[in-house]
Amino acid sequence: MEVLLGITGKDFTLIAASKAAMRGATILKASDDKTRQLNKHTLMAFSGEAGDTVQFAEYIQANAQLYSMRNETDLSPSALANFVRGELAHSLRSRKPYNVNLLLGGVDPITHKPSLYWLDYLAALAPLPYAAHGYAQYYCLSILDKHHHPDITLGQGIKLLTLCTDELKRRLPVDFKGMTVKAVTKDGIVDIEFDDDKVVKSA
Amino acid sequence: MPGFDFSNYNRNAALCARGMSLPKATSTGTTIVGCIFDGGVVIAADTRATSGPIVADKNCEKLHYISPNIWCAGAGTAADTEFTTALISSQLELHSLSTGRKPRVVTCMTMLKQHLFRYQGHIGAYLVVAGVDPTGTHLFTVHAHGSTDKLPYVTMGSGSLAAMSVFESSWKSNLTQEEAIDLCSKAILAGIFNDLGSGSNVDVAIITPEKTTLKRNHITPNQRVPKLGNYVFRRGTTAVLNEKVIRKEELGNFVSIHEMTEEADKMEVDT
Amino acid sequence: MSGIFAINGGACVAMVGKDCVAIACDLRLGLQALTVSNNFPKIFQYGDVFLGLTGLATDVSTVSDLFRYKVNMYRLREERDIAPRTFANLVSSTLYEKRFGPYFVGPVVAGLEPKTGEPFICGFDSIGCIDFAKDFIVSGTATDQLFGMCESLWEPNLGPEDLFETISQALLNAVDRDALSGWGAHIYIIEKDKVTKRLLKGRQD
Repeated sequence: MEVLLGITGKDFTLIAASKAAMRGATILKASDDKTRQLNKHTLMAFSGEAGDTVQFAEYIQANAQLYSMRNETDLSPSALANFVRGELAHSLRSRKPYNVNLLLGGVDPITHKPSLYWLDYLAALAPLPYAAHGYAQYYCLSILDKHHHPDITLGQGIKLLTLCTDELKRRLPVDFKGMTVKAVTKDGIVDIEFDDDKVVKSA
Repeated sequence: MPGFDFSNYNRNAALCARGMSLPKATSTGTTIVGCIFDGGVVIAADTRATSGPIVADKNCEKLHYISPNIWCAGAGTAADTEFTTALISSQLELHSLSTGRKPRVVTCMTMLKQHLFRYQGHIGAYLVVAGVDPTGTHLFTVHAHGSTDKLPYVTMGSGSLAAMSVFESSWKSNLTQEEAIDLCSKAILAGIFNDLGSGSNVDVAIITPEKTTLKRNHITPNQRVPKLGNYVFRRGTTAVLNEKVIRKEELGNFVSIHEMTEEADKMEVDT
Repeated sequence: MSGIFAINGGACVAMVGKDCVAIACDLRLGLQALTVSNNFPKIFQYGDVFLGLTGLATDVSTVSDLFRYKVNMYRLREERDIAPRTFANLVSSTLYEKRFGPYFVGPVVAGLEPKTGEPFICGFDSIGCIDFAKDFIVSGTATDQLFGMCESLWEPNLGPEDLFETISQALLNAVDRDALSGWGAHIYIIEKDKVTKRLLKGRQD
């Protein structure tokens, strides 16, 4: 029951991932970071089969960084999203494919346009204004459908994210140990202080 | 030989193992027949292609060209009949070019059966091969597993039983060309009307030592009656949210230009 | 609902008109009953040829990228645009190469013959069997509904404006009876010297 959320706004993309690392019915760690920075203005969050996730994400991260070093320029978020899709689609045709779901958020270094890409383990790619993976989709997409607007500020984005995490705390049968939240802006990626201790009472 | 690419096979097998069914290919439900007459051979086919219970194509072509004097009627998986006949046609042309002889029907039949046998029935092509060559008039059937028959009259496909009943009751030896065309057409019609997998029109090919005649839509017993009314909508019926027109002469305007910011515009100069 | 073709949902249709052709698709991308995106177009343009792709979303992307590559290579080699009929044969042989491990797509090709300006449309099954049609081609999870709509609404020699209304109503009403398709539509009307792309308002349920 891993949670991945992504929201774009006027000049930022928010990426949030649950902090719990789970194996079966056990929580192994309450401070897991399910994100990797690909370059200055692109961040990727991942969920799926243990092992596959970090292996695949760091493979992508390494290749993205190698590109930046070789060419002294960063790939745009859309270019990275299509690269990741290609790698995942390629792996899908192998004997043991990566079982990884991804959200890729970024801000274009030239146009400063924020973007968010949704990829599932079958390598289906969709650019979206807001996205989620796993059970969070069923709880959060309806909230985001109602409250999201493309022109929201970062403050409003975080409020919207809180609305989503509150609902998850209320409805998910396990404690996902709060969220790692990061924002991508034209100036780079910043960690966002996020109140995980807030208690949400359910009915 | 055909370079089949199995790179998706593992993925699809994994997808199947998760309980998902594989897609259904277009199949030519089909009635196809062939009949030898004095001085040549006739083959005929219906024109319905199906995908499950849906009629995918109401007027498809099931008579395939192999060489000017050899033609093939195909039943089974439509893509397989199409590509198998095209492949053999190509190989046979190269063969006849290198030998300097006209292609023979037995050569064609042998190449088909060896190709199909190698794929153990996975290539779902069921064929009627007919033609005239320097050794005489020939008519064969080739099954997907690689078995063949040589007979004076043959039928294949889901409508083969209906068609065969016509041959068994009406066939006689020493048919004239007209009688053979008529008999084959009647056999196809039996398939069209009695087999759900077959339908629409009758295509016929007549091969004689002199020439080959392809009679596309020889009989059209299922013409749709003209519509008495029409459903043309008043213009503006459909709500449009956005519209973009691209004219040929304006294509040059659609080269994308990125506006650079002041900082990005400054070129880095090596010192 | 359990087939690989029906995981992501989607529909596509092409129609022949008088000196014009139309091709249309819905915009839904789903995961079974959950809608993930309402902006996932399934029509791709390669020069003057249009390709609609329904089926498994990952293969829609893979196949559309593959043909972009193949058509670009063709253009470099031949120094001309690919003709619709040539492209149709390229699609057919590319799909049949994977006869025993197919891409889960239902392609539709539409365009005008470059020399004669004659309308050309065709459809394929997932292993590349071409369906040449003189009237219309349908594809996707709303195939059954689209066949019914097209069979009754289509008629020969519709002009570009009338063809737009006919193809739009055929698609819109078909996808309203398919839970896995809909959520808006793109319509392309292709004429000799211009292409009109329209975004349609569709039900969002």
